[in-house]
Amino acid sequence: MTNSLLFGISTFVYFFAMVLYISYLAFRSDGLGKAATLSLVGGVVVETAAIGMRWYESYQMGIGRAPLTNMYESLAFFAWTIALIYLVLERKFKIRTVGAFVVPFPFIIMAYASLNPNDIQPLVPALQSNWLISHVVTCFVGYAAFAVSFGVSILYLFKARSEKLSPKSPGSFWGFLPSAAALDEIGYKTIAIGFPLLTIGIVTGAFWANVAWGTYWSWDPKETWSLIVWFIYAAYLHARITRGWRGKRAAILSIVGFSATIFCYLGVNLILSGLHSYGG
Amino acid sequence: MSADEPVKTTKTDWTTKVWDFLTSLKLVVFLLLILSALSIAGTIIQQNKPLQEYYRFYQPGTVALFNKLGLFDMYHSWWFLACLALLAMSITVCTMDRYRGIMAGLRKRNLILDEDLGNSLQDLTTIKYALPLDTVEKKMLELVGKGFSGKPVATTAEDSGRHYFFEKGKYSRLAFFLTHLSILIIFLGALVGSFFGYKGYVNIFEGEMISQLETRAGKIKNLNFQVKCNTFNAEFYPSGAPMDYRSDLSILQNGKEIIRKTIRVNDPLTFEGITFYQSSYGGQPDEVAIDVVNRDGSLKGTVTAPFGQKVDIPGVADKVAIADYQEHHHLPDGSEGGRALDVHVYPEKGEETEVWLLMDNPDYDKRRGGDYYLRVKDLKLKKYTGLQVNKDPGEILVWFGSVMLIAGIMIAFFMSHKKLWVSLRTDRKGRSELTIGGTANKNRDAFAREMEPMIQSLKEVS
Repeated sequence: MTNSLLFGISTFVYFFAMVLYISYLAFRSDGLGKAATLSLVGGVVVETAAIGMRWYESYQMGIGRAPLTNMYESLAFFAWTIALIYLVLERKFKIRTVGAFVVPFPFIIMAYASLNPNDIQPLVPALQSNWLISHVVTCFVGYAAFAVSFGVSILYLFKARSEKLSPKSPGSFWGFLPSAAALDEIGYKTIAIGFPLLTIGIVTGAFWANVAWGTYWSWDPKETWSLIVWFIYAAYLHARITRGWRGKRAAILSIVGFSATIFCYLGVNLILSGLHSYGG
Repeated sequence: MSADEPVKTTKTDWTTKVWDFLTSLKLVVFLLLILSALSIAGTIIQQNKPLQEYYRFYQPGTVALFNKLGLFDMYHSWWFLACLALLAMSITVCTMDRYRGIMAGLRKRNLILDEDLGNSLQDLTTIKYALPLDTVEKKMLELVGKGFSGKPVATTAEDSGRHYFFEKGKYSRLAFFLTHLSILIIFLGALVGSFFGYKGYVNIFEGEMISQLETRAGKIKNLNFQVKCNTFNAEFYPSGAPMDYRSDLSILQNGKEIIRKTIRVNDPLTFEGITFYQSSYGGQPDEVAIDVVNRDGSLKGTVTAPFGQKVDIPGVADKVAIADYQEHHHLPDGSEGGRALDVHVYPEKGEETEVWLLMDNPDYDKRRGGDYYLRVKDLKLKKYTGLQVNKDPGEILVWFGSVMLIAGIMIAFFMSHKKLWVSLRTDRKGRSELTIGGTANKNRDAFAREMEPMIQSLKEVS
């Protein structure tokens, strides 16, 4: 089907973008950087078409539903949101060098998605709800913001170490990266975007669960892990705002937070059992 | 020094210590981390399973220990709830602790841009004009008013000229209360729900009605109305996956129908604060006709058995009773057996035997051996709908708290209290001099960027 073909092409373009971002970091050439951004934009455009096509094809099959309801679709959507959010933040904060640490995600996720069955199945009764889109979209945009913060935080750790070892080396590879202070600030700002979205995602999920099952919180593994992720970022924000935790400690918390996010998203489905359908 | 002073000090010390402990960041971070760690444990050890299931995974000694520690229902264990209570206390005390500081931040102070204040501001700009002071004032009010709508506080000081104080987003300082009180409100909602609400479950046969149900805690709740299931329907996709479950329900009071609604998953029915959710369904054999067949295939006779009653098998001394029915019966080898009827056969002497008769494999019972076997001739099912029942008067508090939390977080991250000071005076050479400077309680860089075009346009006034 057309949507599979388009998803396949977007995977390839993400791979190409990843290579370009890494080369940009290695060779520090402006042309490479522009090409990297452009190819990532291309990947997003193709994948947007793929998602739209899949949506359209589901209507043609008489099923008619948003493509956000199984492992394959959620992975593809996750890759798409990470790429898109990264592009927005790259533009806003001028952080093209971070791309080498973030853009591998869309490619790896799409490659992993291709291992999952990708036929369009109709929705089981529990998923037939208007809450589906708002719940999934807010959660995933939040996750994507955390992914960008994760990439920025890793870069921060490298950069902070190099600034300590050789404080003044403007011409070097490290001098090419944004300053540690700027990376620290961006790491925080991306979390400040992700945290409200995660909160909305959890609340819409609770509301939906209450409409579908008559309980807004049942300590299902997915719910519990989303709360753990929320706790970690809440701890990060409190430490930062009230005690000025910055730099290394903040970066490590951001990395821990995203690791928990990935477990909440994938680990829970693959290892634990629960109410969320895309485990299969 | 009076004699009782040391005693007083120790008293204060003690309360101060508790206060400091409850407001400390260490406690909050520790609680968040410990709650996370405990929650992780709760996702690894499966919760609220029947006790015998745990014996399959753990040693008997471990099961006994875990059970005693409450690890099998840990989200309701005293130690988990104690952590949540401590978190609630910490939030309460922090809110009280911050109250005065936040309210002080709302007050208008430093209305005059004097030297001290000027030194504390990041980008203080002074612009000189060859225009009369009144013209500059008019232009300034117009330009600054674009960003800071509302009237500034104007002060005229004799020695230093005219002063203007603008501010916006003052109430964003209250976001702290929104985010923290919202958590307490959600907790309160959960408490109200657990004390004054209940969750239960009830099966209703088509055409029948109920007026009581059993709660999860095992109590019988009487309703002051009846719930009738008119019909139940399940639809499936060609693949066999479920498509729709629908129960046509009526609420009756004093024999009169008050509401009639078809509920589906995601579309429940609420009456007098009690909500009924489509949860499951099933069937119970109503009347079953079973053929008694000789081994050579000839018919010995037919027996009609109502559900649960022992009936004589014609021509034999055995009796039979219908015990259960399953839509998807799993055979002993794990394969799918389809629709199946569970009957108990009671021989004249000896133990009863449980026999599954498969609807789609009529001669399945032949393999049991013996002189005869049983075959389902006709089966009438009484369908029932399974409803989850929930009464939760605390729910509204939970949603109120949630909306408050989201609003609070949004305001906390994306709004700030911005203050701007302008002073106008005439310098010794008779030129008009404007000094402008501002600050924000958050995100000062963004505020500086916001100020840039305003200052630029002020410079261009002529």
